[in-house]
Amino acid sequence: MNAPFFKFGYFGDDMSLVVAFVIGIGFGFFLERAGFGSGRKLTAQFYFYDMTVFKVMFTAIITAMVGLYYLSVLGFVDLSLVYQMPTYIIPQVIGGLILGVGFVVGGYCPGTSCVALSTGKVDAVVYLLGIIGGIFVFGESFSLIKDFYYSTALGQLTLPQIMHLPYGLIVFLVILMAVGGFAGATWVEKRIAAKGVKS
Amino acid sequence: MKSQLFQMTLNKKLGLTVGFLGFVAVFAGNPYKGSGATVNVKELAISVEKEVDHVSPEELADWIMQGKADFRLVDLRSEKEFAEYHIPGAENIPLATIPEADLLRSEKIVLCSEGGIHSAQGWFFLKAKDFKAVYILRGGLDEWKDKILFPKLAVNATAYDKAAFEKAKAASAYFGGTPISGVTDQSVQPQVALPKIEMPSQANPQAGPQKKKKKEGC
Repeated sequence: MNAPFFKFGYFGDDMSLVVAFVIGIGFGFFLERAGFGSGRKLTAQFYFYDMTVFKVMFTAIITAMVGLYYLSVLGFVDLSLVYQMPTYIIPQVIGGLILGVGFVVGGYCPGTSCVALSTGKVDAVVYLLGIIGGIFVFGESFSLIKDFYYSTALGQLTLPQIMHLPYGLIVFLVILMAVGGFAGATWVEKRIAAKGVKS
Repeated sequence: MKSQLFQMTLNKKLGLTVGFLGFVAVFAGNPYKGSGATVNVKELAISVEKEVDHVSPEELADWIMQGKADFRLVDLRSEKEFAEYHIPGAENIPLATIPEADLLRSEKIVLCSEGGIHSAQGWFFLKAKDFKAVYILRGGLDEWKDKILFPKLAVNATAYDKAAFEKAKAASAYFGGTPISGVTDQSVQPQVALPKIEMPSQANPQAGPQKKKKKEGC
């Protein structure tokens, strides 16, 4: 028995929802424990006096990457079945910028707003209403932006593919980048704290 | 040495561990070769019977015109045939080389060949290697030419046929084909040249095939 379980048909749609529920609870729990139920903590990232968001996200990336890499090398996971989002470079860059602006202004990203809501934050309610409004506008105007949405298609890209490097080497390089990033983030935090910018 | 290790902060320990795992990864090989697969004959038989793995030429034409990139169109014919004509965006992987082709199991793959047989065989090879989303272009390039490049409208067409023909004309123009109206017999094969291989956006109407109306029947 090896993963991904759903795509290999080890369980059906009903079970997948139960699994999604359990994973979702776990995801939300750890986001909350990381302090991501607070819009102040999240926006602090953009002023560089609290780099927790960067550290938590990079830790998640590294953990998932190392875990998936070794599990698939050992034959427990069929990596070629793991879904990769196709790249539409310009729409995705613009979408990312819109999300980023919303993040700074609203204080949350979509996932963390749900976490904040469950801890009883009123601003999260407003944020979620905004999300629902945004989904509605996007859905209704999709036929207008469809051409743009599917433009500059590059297919499913991976770093080993575009850099023509062995997979393991990329794993190592990303880890080096993360460890360097952690050291750099801690250094930046100390510098900003020393300046007394913290509100 | 040992006491030094214990004195480290948790962060440093984690950093060291992940650094070690990363270093080992450089020599641990490619993860994409770490799995085998078995053929579930019954599952395959059912999906064949239900024809869930077919893509009609119309659907494919729609996807290409919309610029969708969530699938790969694989042409299984020989390089020579591929050079003569292929559907825009197709990549040439002759059937014999499909086992070692650079395809991922998570990708949506649409196979096409002259008719449907080679596609069906290639489909089976890929299914046996546990590719999940493999589709066959229904009727292959024969049907593609028939339905998309040179759609035909019979003289005695119904209103429904005419509406469908209007839609087909747009697709035909996009792919550089020639719609043929006023055909008295559906079985007539029009003798028209295939469009030149260019991306549709650069298609030059001058370079397109000459419109020939054939009205002979049996």
